[in-house]
Amino acid sequence: MIDSQQASEALADIREIARRVRQSRIYNLASLLMIMWGALVFIANAASFGWPRHAGYIWIAVNVVGLAGSFVVSAFTHSRTGVRTFDLRTLMAFLLFFAFGLATCMLAHFGPRELGVFWAIYFMLFYTIAGLWVGLAFVVIGVGISALTLIGYFLAGNWFEPWMAIVNGGGLVLGGLWMRRE
Amino acid sequence: MTGLDDIIHQPLRLRIMAALNALPPGTGLEFAKLKKLTGATDGNLGAHIETLSKAGYVAVDKAFVGKKPQTTVTATAAGRGAFARHVAMLQEIIAGQPPE
Repeated sequence: MIDSQQASEALADIREIARRVRQSRIYNLASLLMIMWGALVFIANAASFGWPRHAGYIWIAVNVVGLAGSFVVSAFTHSRTGVRTFDLRTLMAFLLFFAFGLATCMLAHFGPRELGVFWAIYFMLFYTIAGLWVGLAFVVIGVGISALTLIGYFLAGNWFEPWMAIVNGGGLVLGGLWMRRE
Repeated sequence: MTGLDDIIHQPLRLRIMAALNALPPGTGLEFAKLKKLTGATDGNLGAHIETLSKAGYVAVDKAFVGKKPQTTVTATAAGRGAFARHVAMLQEIIAGQPPE
């Protein structure tokens, strides 16, 4: 027979394990999307560095491919786990988030460099806020990439886009790979 | 110790069952992931999974992913039921009701 203290400890142990399993599952589901977006952001920044006059079209194309890719990743995840990571509601949230960012850019008259910083930090804000509910890894990735983005804005000079390719794109890929191990 | 499930009550087996029960029915965990979540060693974890498997509480599926062997452990319906009863019993002990 065990006493109530031992029973409490056993239940606390159960709750802690269940919390870690749920977090691991969220990380696993989100990591594929994060790796895909990281690769796209890397490509977009590198391409914008090579063809700066076409940067606007490059980013539109990357966002369209990213949204389509998110549905593909979600379908793949759904076939394996029964969970949809990207659905119509998520798409609506993304579009609202994007529209708010677009309106801010139009009102603020940002230059190309400021645009690069704004969108990176704006998306990382979303990661960071989400992380407060779903897991510390998102907070670390969001705050880390935001800080490195600001460092690049002030210190990277003419190499800002390559810096962003590595920090923002590479950071998301590495963050996604790290989350898969958790 | 009436009421409490002796098979599940052992600390590591309780952690294994807690981890598997946190997943949707029919979903399993890979051995390596289970090892990380429970903090067990290979041999220890293997032995306790064997005990749970013999009791019919978990199903063990061994397959090859590429050239790497992969063991997946899933809680069975009987295992989920036993775990739920065990948790209910723990809650009764805390509430001060002695197990029947």
